[in-house]
Amino acid sequence: MKKTVLRVLSLVLLVSVLVLTTAGCSAKKQELVIFSWADYIDPELLSEFTANTGIEINYNYFNSEEEMLAKLEATDGGDYDIIIASDYIINIARSEGLLKEINKEKVPNYSNLNEKYLNQYYDPDGKYTIPYVAGTPLIVYNPDRVTCEITGYNSLWDESLKDQVVVMDHMRNVIGFTMKSMGYSLNTEDPEVIAKAGEKLMALKPNIRALDGDTPHEKLISGECTVGYIFTSQVSNVLMECPNFKVVYPEEGMGFGIDSLFMPKNAPHEDAALKFMDFMCEPEISARASIFTQYINCNSAATQYLPEDFLNNQAVNIPADVLGDIEFMEDISTEATEQMNAIWNEFKQS
Amino acid sequence: MKKKNGALSKLYVILVLFLTYLPVFVVVLYSFNNSKYGNWEGFSFTWYDKLFQNRQIWRSLKNTLILAFSSCFLSILIGTAGAVGMAKSRFRTMNLLENVSMIPMMLPEIILGMAYLAFFSILKIPFGMLTLIIAHTTFCVPYIYINVQSRLVGLDPSFVEAARDLGASPTRAFIDVTLPLIAPAVLSGALLALAMSMDDVVISFFVTGTTSNTLPLQVYSMLKMGVTPEVNALCTLILLVVFGCIGLYYLFMSLYRRRAEKQ
Amino acid sequence: MTAVPETKKTERRISPAVIPMYIVTVLFVALPMVYVIGITFLMKDEVFGITNQVTLKNYADLFSAVNLKVFADSFVVAISTTVLTLLIGYPFAYFTARFSQKTRSFIILLIMAPFWINSLLRLNGWIILLKANGAINEGLLALGIISEPLKILYNNGAMMLGMVYALLPFMITSIYNSVEKMDWTLIEAARDLGSKPFSAFLRVTLPLTMPGVVAGCVLVFVPSMGLFFISDLLGGSKVLLLGNLIKNEFYQARNWPMGATLSIAMLAFTFVFIIIYKKVTDDKTAGGLK
Repeated sequence: MKKTVLRVLSLVLLVSVLVLTTAGCSAKKQELVIFSWADYIDPELLSEFTANTGIEINYNYFNSEEEMLAKLEATDGGDYDIIIASDYIINIARSEGLLKEINKEKVPNYSNLNEKYLNQYYDPDGKYTIPYVAGTPLIVYNPDRVTCEITGYNSLWDESLKDQVVVMDHMRNVIGFTMKSMGYSLNTEDPEVIAKAGEKLMALKPNIRALDGDTPHEKLISGECTVGYIFTSQVSNVLMECPNFKVVYPEEGMGFGIDSLFMPKNAPHEDAALKFMDFMCEPEISARASIFTQYINCNSAATQYLPEDFLNNQAVNIPADVLGDIEFMEDISTEATEQMNAIWNEFKQS
Repeated sequence: MKKKNGALSKLYVILVLFLTYLPVFVVVLYSFNNSKYGNWEGFSFTWYDKLFQNRQIWRSLKNTLILAFSSCFLSILIGTAGAVGMAKSRFRTMNLLENVSMIPMMLPEIILGMAYLAFFSILKIPFGMLTLIIAHTTFCVPYIYINVQSRLVGLDPSFVEAARDLGASPTRAFIDVTLPLIAPAVLSGALLALAMSMDDVVISFFVTGTTSNTLPLQVYSMLKMGVTPEVNALCTLILLVVFGCIGLYYLFMSLYRRRAEKQ
Repeated sequence: MTAVPETKKTERRISPAVIPMYIVTVLFVALPMVYVIGITFLMKDEVFGITNQVTLKNYADLFSAVNLKVFADSFVVAISTTVLTLLIGYPFAYFTARFSQKTRSFIILLIMAPFWINSLLRLNGWIILLKANGAINEGLLALGIISEPLKILYNNGAMMLGMVYALLPFMITSIYNSVEKMDWTLIEAARDLGSKPFSAFLRVTLPLTMPGVVAGCVLVFVPSMGLFFISDLLGGSKVLLLGNLIKNEFYQARNWPMGATLSIAMLAFTFVFIIIYKKVTDDKTAGGLK
């Protein structure tokens, strides 16, 4: 045993010395550091960008936007060039002064973008962000196994759905749709309304089979759950695997979100970042990005490049009259957040 | 002398090993699955193809190996020396030191990660391999320490004393007497530490830099986004390497022994 | 984990071997801990991060009904996990130590090897087995034993399976270390003196292997208080454990001070438990040996 250990130890030492010495010597190349969720940009698009411009891409992942923002603050917006994140976290980053203004002259393709998705609350003057894709959580269900009629959020409370529902494991979204089901806004801060929503939410617990925001589509595809309130791309995934599933645009109105590209304040490779932004605004590239992510396209010029089945997909191509009735999930007061957090903990604990 | 195992105890050992490997077999099997979601739809190498095209993964693998081996090595040195030294020391802050050094094991990763994030940015240490090694070494030390320490308790100190009486220097006595006695504990502690380091996601996320991403970070993100088959393929390869190493080691050892016997 | 038995206070020596651990502990554990404890007295920023305002509110909030229940639930889960891993792991380690040198080190390697691949992935293996259209349900359906897929996943049982599965090797390796170095002649002697096998086990083997049992219990109990991804993955996020609660504070409520306060409370709780546990087991070990 002694010899074994000594051998293992010397092997460990050898490997670490070897690797440490080789680690230091990497040549300086033009580089672009991207920070986003895993698998959120088509790797083919990234290699095309590198082939066109010679800029190497270094893609870093985060799993939660809160982690991303904490990291951004600690590095004072320094280490990353391009970040793709959702509207509410960009709004916080903007209020903390962590964003860098985009020089639009270097992004001529900006003009391709659909104005509907520009100058939103998180970037009212359109100075910092380029919309990447948009989405809205929807209800999707298996008509073969669901006996009740599903028209909106309120249907999720139906007694026949006991232990069958999957909704995202996300406090604001779940309490948000509960308030919407009662006819209030997602962003209500009135403590009485929140408290009432809390009571109503508790009644939903028996119907919940699982809370999952990452892979709820797998639970629907496997037959573990029959109804889900899930994100756009996940709805698409369900429909691709199980075409018989039905999509519901909730009658009470829908939440909405836009994920955008932005540069942090001290981005080290600004030129490369601007080139990348321009690249992503090219109509054909934008179309491919939407097809890859299965989210709503934000580029007016891209429509001609979108294939038939993408345009027929109810999750990513929502009729304009339905999409009129949407609401962003904005940041709310500390008091309201705390109250919701208490409700959320009780809901999960019960 | 100790008794040999009966059929029942052998069966038990095999059963536990089987259950340990059951989900692993599933992972290996499904890495050859044609379909992305669960159901078996035929044999295919699609995911291996995809895996080999993903250059980021190979870069992360290199980082992980650097990190795991150097932090494991450092923590073996620090933890073993600490446990052996503590057994010989008496000082007032001893208990305190021991308890504080265990904290990384007890604290949720997220809070430790946040603390390191703030700590390193206050100290202006740039995030990268150095910060990763510091963090991993710190949380690996307790695993070595606790293993070696529990082995030392109840070891007969007279062995070491005898060696010293026979004129061995303290270092000599350590290498010839103590080390062989604690070797299995060092090894199992090291295996645990290696596993912890290879499995850490949260702390690594907070202390990593842009060029030092590790494999667990990548694997975790991919799993969260449901890119499972590719990860299955990756882990099958890792398992293959691990078992390859174990196999080679045993082959080497038996050859070595056979030669020693012939001589 | 206990220090060596107390001798007279007059003797004071520090072995130089302790120094590296001392430095690492002070620099990279104690100092960050000071920071963590520091932020428990601060207020959450309205938007993101922490303000400089000093407050005791976080500690007052600690004792809300939900938090207390979560503490209790987590404690029950952690204890059950520890007991289950001990019951499964002890015989395994004991039997393993009775094999020949070559076989037993191979078995220990086998137990550890899967733990070098991502734990999430291994849990995913369980999900593939247990889900509605997974191997077990499909098999039972094909055999005609059931007509509807069983709901095995997303309940407390599935969660406990995951907990035990994830933490078992910690228990096994610790106990194995103790059994392996045990002097088997002592048991022989007890048997010769007329002890029945079981009572020889209780009076000789168990006390001799107690250090490994204690180490194993600590290594299992401590992480099982804070694990969150197992209850998320196998429990369907419907069970709220301390780890989940703390994670919620960071990621959903964005309240770092509260997250830190809960972590400190958990740490204190774990320490108290370990100290009591060590006291009890130390007494027993001493009684058994002397």
